[in-house]
Amino acid sequence: MAKGVLVDLTKCIGCGSCTVACKLWNDKKFSVEEPTVGPAAIAKLTANNWTVVQHNEIKKDNETVWRFAKKQCLHCQDPACASACFAKALQKTKEGPVIYYPHLCVGCRYCMIACPFNVPKYEWDKAFPLVSKCQMCSTKVDKGEAPACVSVCPAGVFQFGEREKLLQEAKSIIAKDINYVKDIYGEQQAGGTSWLYISDVPFEQLGFRTDLGTVPLSTYSHNFLKYTPVVAVSWGIILTGLYHYTKRRNTISEENKNVKL
Amino acid sequence: MAAQGWSFRMTPIRKLLILLATICVGVCIFRLATGLGLVTNLNDEWPWGLWIGFDVLTGVALAGGGYFTAIVVHVLHRHQYHIIARSAMLTSLLGYLLVMAGLFLDIGQWFNFWRPFVSWGHTSVLFEVFWCVSCYTTVQVLEFGEIFTERVGKKWHTIFKNAMPVLMIVGIIFPTLHQSSLGGLYLIAVDKLYPLWWSTLIPYFFLISSFFVGPAMICVESTLAGNAYKHKVPVEVLRGLAKIGGWFMVLYLALKLFDLSNRNVWDLVFAGNLESTMFLIELLFGVIIPILIVFSGMSKSRSGLFIYGLLVSGGVILNRMNVVFTGMSGKTGGSYFPSIWEWSVSIGLVAIGVLVYCFVVENFRILEHEEHHA
Amino acid sequence: MENRSAKPQSVSRRGFLKMLGGAGLAGVAANITGCSTDQAGGKGWMPQQYQVASSWPVQVRGRVPIDPTNPSITRDDKKCILCGQCIEACEKVQTVMGYYELPIKDDITCVNCGQCTLWCPTAAITEVDHTEKVFKALENKDLHVVVQTAPATRVALGEEFGLPAGSVVEGKQVAALKKLGFAGVFDTNFTADLTIMEEGSELVARVTGDLKKPLPQFTSCSPGWVKFCEYYYPDLLEHMSSAKSPQQMMGAVVKSYYAKQKGIDPQKIYSVSIMPCTAKKYECQRPEMNSAGEKIGKPDMMDVDAVLTTRELARMIKKKGIDFTQLADEKYDSMLGEGTGAAVIFGTTGGVMEAAVRSAYFLITKQNPPDALLTLTPVRGLTGVKEAALEIPGVGPVRVAVCSGLSNARKILDEVREDLKAGNPLRYHFIEFMSCPGGCIGGGGQPRTSLPPSDAVRQARLDSLYTMDAKMYKKRLSHENQEVLDIYKNFFEHPMSHLAEELLHTEYTDRGKQLTAKKKA
Repeated sequence: MAKGVLVDLTKCIGCGSCTVACKLWNDKKFSVEEPTVGPAAIAKLTANNWTVVQHNEIKKDNETVWRFAKKQCLHCQDPACASACFAKALQKTKEGPVIYYPHLCVGCRYCMIACPFNVPKYEWDKAFPLVSKCQMCSTKVDKGEAPACVSVCPAGVFQFGEREKLLQEAKSIIAKDINYVKDIYGEQQAGGTSWLYISDVPFEQLGFRTDLGTVPLSTYSHNFLKYTPVVAVSWGIILTGLYHYTKRRNTISEENKNVKL
Repeated sequence: MAAQGWSFRMTPIRKLLILLATICVGVCIFRLATGLGLVTNLNDEWPWGLWIGFDVLTGVALAGGGYFTAIVVHVLHRHQYHIIARSAMLTSLLGYLLVMAGLFLDIGQWFNFWRPFVSWGHTSVLFEVFWCVSCYTTVQVLEFGEIFTERVGKKWHTIFKNAMPVLMIVGIIFPTLHQSSLGGLYLIAVDKLYPLWWSTLIPYFFLISSFFVGPAMICVESTLAGNAYKHKVPVEVLRGLAKIGGWFMVLYLALKLFDLSNRNVWDLVFAGNLESTMFLIELLFGVIIPILIVFSGMSKSRSGLFIYGLLVSGGVILNRMNVVFTGMSGKTGGSYFPSIWEWSVSIGLVAIGVLVYCFVVENFRILEHEEHHA
Repeated sequence: MENRSAKPQSVSRRGFLKMLGGAGLAGVAANITGCSTDQAGGKGWMPQQYQVASSWPVQVRGRVPIDPTNPSITRDDKKCILCGQCIEACEKVQTVMGYYELPIKDDITCVNCGQCTLWCPTAAITEVDHTEKVFKALENKDLHVVVQTAPATRVALGEEFGLPAGSVVEGKQVAALKKLGFAGVFDTNFTADLTIMEEGSELVARVTGDLKKPLPQFTSCSPGWVKFCEYYYPDLLEHMSSAKSPQQMMGAVVKSYYAKQKGIDPQKIYSVSIMPCTAKKYECQRPEMNSAGEKIGKPDMMDVDAVLTTRELARMIKKKGIDFTQLADEKYDSMLGEGTGAAVIFGTTGGVMEAAVRSAYFLITKQNPPDALLTLTPVRGLTGVKEAALEIPGVGPVRVAVCSGLSNARKILDEVREDLKAGNPLRYHFIEFMSCPGGCIGGGGQPRTSLPPSDAVRQARLDSLYTMDAKMYKKRLSHENQEVLDIYKNFFEHPMSHLAEELLHTEYTDRGKQLTAKKKA
């Protein structure tokens, strides 16, 4: 039902077609100061770059190898950003993409704090800035088409389809080929993501956070917020009771004082 | 008294404050017109900076004196503390108004600030914060109506006076909720906030600390205001309040110790890195030493209480700053130091608060309130 | 918030005022308060040349990878429309992209040929621009800036100035370079002749068995081809002639022989070359291309300091406001300025072979070749793979092959490899390889004009070179080049002498470990 993308990082040649396709489809500005392909220190997700391809030099079997890692919003199954947005400007669609409605956004940037992958970026140079992040080309995905970046890859890095099927596919690929790391990034992280990655080098060396839990982050907020109504009501009752009790006690003690006098 | 004209004394310090306030207003207008990039040093790694960390998180905590007083004086009817009630609640009101100003400046789509009233992102802790802070500020404005109508629009005074008990109780529920949910904001940052601060108990730490910082702020404030207005609050009154705070600090400390053991992070406490050092400073100077002061003879003197107040307030400020900056720095990367404009806005907002406080104190019955209830 | 809808091309005054009134306040207010309820992102395909967002285009196929540190080519993302023409060139014409297994190793495989710069319809891929660097050097009074021009630029540069394809502008090019302020304008034809002497001698030595290196011998003038061989056929590198390319020979000679003769400190010489080629930019940066510096203990001094493509030279000429078509012809400077017809045909596929055969005949028989060998028709023309068999007295039949375009090279190389493995009799003695289809006249640094879809331009340039060889140049044999004879007399003594080995020959790098070669894309 929900769509996903399987990224086979071993096939990426670093051409950056995906990053250009993203800009062409989403009308994002090109900027020499914000390259979309290069080492992670230079090629960073920004308000203008919804996807980047990061170049990593990695030691593997005593040899240095180049590996490229495409980065974009991972479109969590249970997105922290959407749960953190107090105006519903970020929403998870049933097709998979986590999309952003600018007209609802207040600009508090709590989504940026919430996202464990540091994906949402902000238009710092705009007078009326908005949050900015990959929409997974949701208008295309709604029609059953692959996102722009996925459709353009000349190296066959991506597979687009039902997330569940892709997960099975990924499992069978890494089971068959010993070169792959026995892990699918995005299967579990922060409750799972629509984008799934397989690789032949450890994910942390490609700039992926591997220290994340498997529980959706919204769980933590929910476990706190669910007590709000109970606390509000019972606290009100207690306070009202205390108010009347102490008032009455004071009155009685005043009366006692008066009587004694 | 009511027949008197409005008065505002001019002193060199106030002139300085007015200058700071003017700069602040100028920067604010510039910021609202040009966005955040020119004025602030915020960036994609540091979406929240001084304005959220100091003006909002710290501001709300320090304004906790309001609901502390409301509970002690108006709900529990401890009338001996009446003397500080009005000034504490005024400070709280001003604090919240400044917090609102700070928030308004910090949000990018400021003209869209009302959106969560209609578009309910109820899964967000910020949603609770937003509603509670908005409602509580409104309640506090209404509470101030009782004081205001003593002088202006007197015919409404009775209505406000009669509404007070309800306002007081509502005005305690809201801050209880949002003081804790301000901490709850960081629950979702489980993979970012350093484990010394991140805990499922962080809402309770925020709540308790906002409660015990109340008397501490009252100690500081009444010392300062007392010097300025020759209005000395009896030491015993302050000490009594401080002791209430002290008990809550003991509770806080116990909960902290339990939490550290429970999450098994004692090794991080003594890891010797920046985080552990800041954590220890925060706990030692902000909690442990003040507890020793308040339950010892030192709290019998006005200066002892003043130091107590400063330490506790400083500790809470440090705690909030640690959560916003120290605790987040490890995982976010990048660097942030507030720009001179961010500082000028934060400082200017405080200056505005002090100026308004002075004006209100000089024109309404805030400090010489005790005989009113007597 | 940007307005993504089409803007009217022209507005009447009334329309403009109406627009101001209506859109002004209401529009701004609506925009600010976010009345639009659209989600962010994708309204459709929006390359800059379209005015409205459209649906997904028919042909979107991605592009070739280009390392940001690539010394030859670079790409402007703003202009890229992902049409896939570069992939076409790289994969189909040059058989580079797609001919390695994934994952890649520690390199973005590129032979620097620059064919993609010709195919790219939006000029997003271009050579790495070194014109500023050269302008700076020219302004530096401490530097003695010299320049060499490749055979193929003189039949193509004119196109940049509106002249018909194939126009011979040799003299104008020299005049323009002198106007630009180069202190010495030399002809790469001179070192092409020198190359023939070295490479021809090497071939003869291989044939006679004096040199213990296998046959067939491969030509080594095309740096794109050399890198291709290093990547995909490192096992055949022994077949590669050790002679440097003419550009690098000129570089080494300028900073040794020329500096010595002129009494100039070689470190004060700034050596520029004008090439039809982007791979030359890479070639001059190969670490071993510092023989003149090595010789005087200054290994940091490269033999060639900057390489400009034909296109870059045209830009420099235009930038300086030189009216190119009106320039009076001038001559190359002496000492390194003489070239023969054998050298000028280096600029086209088959030319190196033909020139080598002419001189090899002489080297073997001590007689000049018969007229038939001066017009070696079988190796002429734009056909990808050409073969010929020649009868040279005393040696017998010499079989040669010529191929241009690396997809054609691949066919020949696979045959050679197979023959070696199977122990088959020698199929060829000498094979000429050129990286670009048609040879240097179709090089990646040549004017873009109508290349590459039609061969017409390539044919016109090719014809001009053969015309120059047959009709315009006085001498047609490399071994008759007087300045070449002088340099042997005064400096190198004889081909493949110790000094010649040091300055004019080179070694190759096995790049096979930088990729896992694959037979088919």
